[in-house]
Amino acid sequence: MAKQILSFTVNDEPVDVLVQPYVTLLDALREDLGLTGPKEGCGTGDCGACTVHLDGQPVASCLVLALQARGRSVRTIEGLARAGDLHPLQDAFVRHGVPQCGFCIPGVLMAAAAVLAETPKPTEEEIRYGIAGNLCRCTGYTKMIAAITEAAAQGATR
Amino acid sequence: MSVMKTTRDVRGVGLSIPRPDGPEKVTGHVQYVADIKPKGLLHAKLLRSPHAHARIVRIDVSKARALPGVRAVLTAADIPELKRKAPTRAHAVLAIDRAVFAGQPVAAVAADEVAIAEEALDLIEVEYEILKAAVDPLDSMKPGAPPVADVGTEADTSEALAHSAVAMAKSEEATGKAVNVSQTAHVKRGDVAKGFAESDVVLEHTYRVPMVHQGYLEPHAVLAEWDTTGQLTLWASTQGSFNTRSEVADVLGIEENRIKVIPVECGGGFGGKIRALCEPITALLARATRRPVRYVMTRREELEAGMPAPQVIIRLKTGIKRDGTLMALEAESVLETGAFSGTVLAVAAVFLGSLYRWPAFDIKGSEVLTHKPSVAAYRAPVAPQTIFAIDSQMEHLAREIGVDPAEFRARHLSRPGEPMVNNQPWASMGAHEVLARAVEHPIWKKRAEWKASGGNGHGLRGTGLSLGGWLGGLQPTGATVKLNPDGTLAVLTGQVDIAGTNIALAQIAASAYGVDVEKVKITTGDTDVAPVTGLSAGSKTVYTVGVAVMQAAQDARQQTLAIAASELEAAVQDLEIVDGRVIVRGMPDKGVTLASIGKKGNLYMSKVQPVLGTARPAFTQQAPAFAAQLARIELDPDTGEVKLHDFVTVQDVGKAINPLAVEGQMQGGAVQSLGIALTEGLDYDGEGRLRNPSLLDYRKLTAADLPNLETIIVEVPSPAGPFGARGVGEPPIVPAPACIANAIHDATGRRLTELPLTPERIALALLER
Repeated sequence: MAKQILSFTVNDEPVDVLVQPYVTLLDALREDLGLTGPKEGCGTGDCGACTVHLDGQPVASCLVLALQARGRSVRTIEGLARAGDLHPLQDAFVRHGVPQCGFCIPGVLMAAAAVLAETPKPTEEEIRYGIAGNLCRCTGYTKMIAAITEAAAQGATR
Repeated sequence: MSVMKTTRDVRGVGLSIPRPDGPEKVTGHVQYVADIKPKGLLHAKLLRSPHAHARIVRIDVSKARALPGVRAVLTAADIPELKRKAPTRAHAVLAIDRAVFAGQPVAAVAADEVAIAEEALDLIEVEYEILKAAVDPLDSMKPGAPPVADVGTEADTSEALAHSAVAMAKSEEATGKAVNVSQTAHVKRGDVAKGFAESDVVLEHTYRVPMVHQGYLEPHAVLAEWDTTGQLTLWASTQGSFNTRSEVADVLGIEENRIKVIPVECGGGFGGKIRALCEPITALLARATRRPVRYVMTRREELEAGMPAPQVIIRLKTGIKRDGTLMALEAESVLETGAFSGTVLAVAAVFLGSLYRWPAFDIKGSEVLTHKPSVAAYRAPVAPQTIFAIDSQMEHLAREIGVDPAEFRARHLSRPGEPMVNNQPWASMGAHEVLARAVEHPIWKKRAEWKASGGNGHGLRGTGLSLGGWLGGLQPTGATVKLNPDGTLAVLTGQVDIAGTNIALAQIAASAYGVDVEKVKITTGDTDVAPVTGLSAGSKTVYTVGVAVMQAAQDARQQTLAIAASELEAAVQDLEIVDGRVIVRGMPDKGVTLASIGKKGNLYMSKVQPVLGTARPAFTQQAPAFAAQLARIELDPDTGEVKLHDFVTVQDVGKAINPLAVEGQMQGGAVQSLGIALTEGLDYDGEGRLRNPSLLDYRKLTAADLPNLETIIVEVPSPAGPFGARGVGEPPIVPAPACIANAIHDATGRRLTELPLTPERIALALLER
């Protein structure tokens, strides 16, 4: 199969890349653009480790073909923070000691950021359902909920 | 070793300090094996047997080899190192002429792209003769069952030795072993028949816990590369790089000096990344292609062909007097180990027979081979399953005679010094303390009110309590601590930090030496540079590596003080380290900075020796650690659905080196325990094929399934651990299955004995008269 040009915006930068038509957005980000923050935990959309934002909406990038992102805007964990600083969610995750093995964290943060973009002051239940598509096997989620709640209280909306 | 007190107010042991790699993890910058992409990288894929038991009649790889972009295709015939009788799963790199579980690799491909490797798998032709498979462990023990091992069976107890260090005499009844029984154990004491005859209440249940997968979110991954001199480098997602090196060297038949294992950030292990799995075949593909080869398992492969926890079936019979006196216990446990031996049989016997003081017991255990993937450790191996049995049984007995189930447990719970089933004394432990703390909790005190509030538009409500723990692992280990020229400390070990152990070790070094933790850098070295370090498993990283780091830091401190003593013309015992300076006690002006001592150890023509503290402890004092859990549930009697309202873990951690990290372990362990209780289980069909090979069908708990998890830390210092610490990781995964079953019993009066406690099982139990 011939590769095709994928032109899209990744973390606010315009990008052109040649990809096979069967390649997923996750593989294009990881293998072709070197953005290895999004992880593959299952490849079937069940674990959420590959969550990125596509035009502001959280998606399992393992279920999106790369070419479906043509002309659209993608944000990965590498683009969550403004240059140099940690995003308030990232900062709260560090201070609350959320990451253990860390593998789920990029996906959880992108899901949490999407929750806050939609609902700036979410209830605990809204947070829990907002990250219910993200499996974490280390933390038991409790410290995640506390960190997201605190970041929301401080007005983190992206 | 006495419990060491923090010498002065340094920022060290006991503080909740976020782990230093947090920013790297929240920004996605931490690299796992699948993120590493060297020049010329090839991608590996394995062709796996679709049949649980089949003879391989013919393999034709010619079409696959001819596919452009394919760099190597290997079958067993291409690997002279393969042994016909593989002693372990790692040795069974590729099936030789018989596949013994569905998912066993039969051929391997390395190609330029993953997609090409996958296409090559489709081009490999394999002709199988399907054989009858041993799928059910109880059937597999019977005469005439299809044999799993080729030439008899062989017990692999290395897991037991490495992980739990429970000494137990092997059963003398080796003669007459059934066809697929690979290990047996038998312990007894007293007259069991007499005990039952004199009992007022005799209760018998059979408890079943299916195989469960550890569920680490990062699938197994390894990157292998050989250099032109024959040196192999492995970038591995492993819980123990030295163990990985030994296993790979043994399988490949090469010296350990020819292998360097670089422990890359490990995206979760929970026992499933101790033993080698895909490292040998990846190394062989790299050797065949002379290129770096990366292999990353898919989630489906993990579920179908990982190394899950064994299925455990325990028939348990107990007799007591009406006044609550324990009389006799009889148990038969069957541990299904899959296609290769490797379970921890002794743990079941210890918890069944000696967590509570049974005057007479007769406990038999069998490890049984079946045509399924072989098992490995999973966080406190066999303890959640065993505690499910014995704690459920204790609760049921207490209810039968109408006594408070917590008081019944406390009355009979063993104390330090009392004999375990193997006649060794229980070591110092805080089981009584955590139980006492749990029953003070409002959830337990108000259980009658909670139960009474059920119905009337609510579901049935109940409260559960359970108690379980872990015996504590041991392993020799080493560490070094050096003083840098600027007065900072550099700690080197080979331990893999999955749980937050590095920050805890840095805190230990800080307190033992006498500097703030911010002055301590901790490094996990590869197998070429790090001192020999044990596995990150068995709840023993802080317990053993922590002692190594503590002693190495004390050694470095003594060296530092000796140098300062000669410079200050003072006695070592008059010196202390304060704010980065060694001073004469009470004379803060008379001192020398740590930086100057560090500098002189690194100065041209200097006569001052560099400070290099070393330690290599190999102590044998175990530190059992216990957790009690409390659950408040609401149950829909029509659907059988359980809603968890509150969940509390009370745990003895000896000393919380880093309470923040300890809480994280307790919460994470609790959720894994709740998963085993409520949703998890590998589900096999009659042919030995997995019916739920995805995370959609194999349900793990999500944030939406759970309440906030309360943690209560209890500190009963261990005699040998650093600053009194005990292992923390394993105890919290143990109690929840019994805890939830007990809560369901409280809510419904029904005793459920088979996990997971699905809505279907609960609803059916409620329909029974």
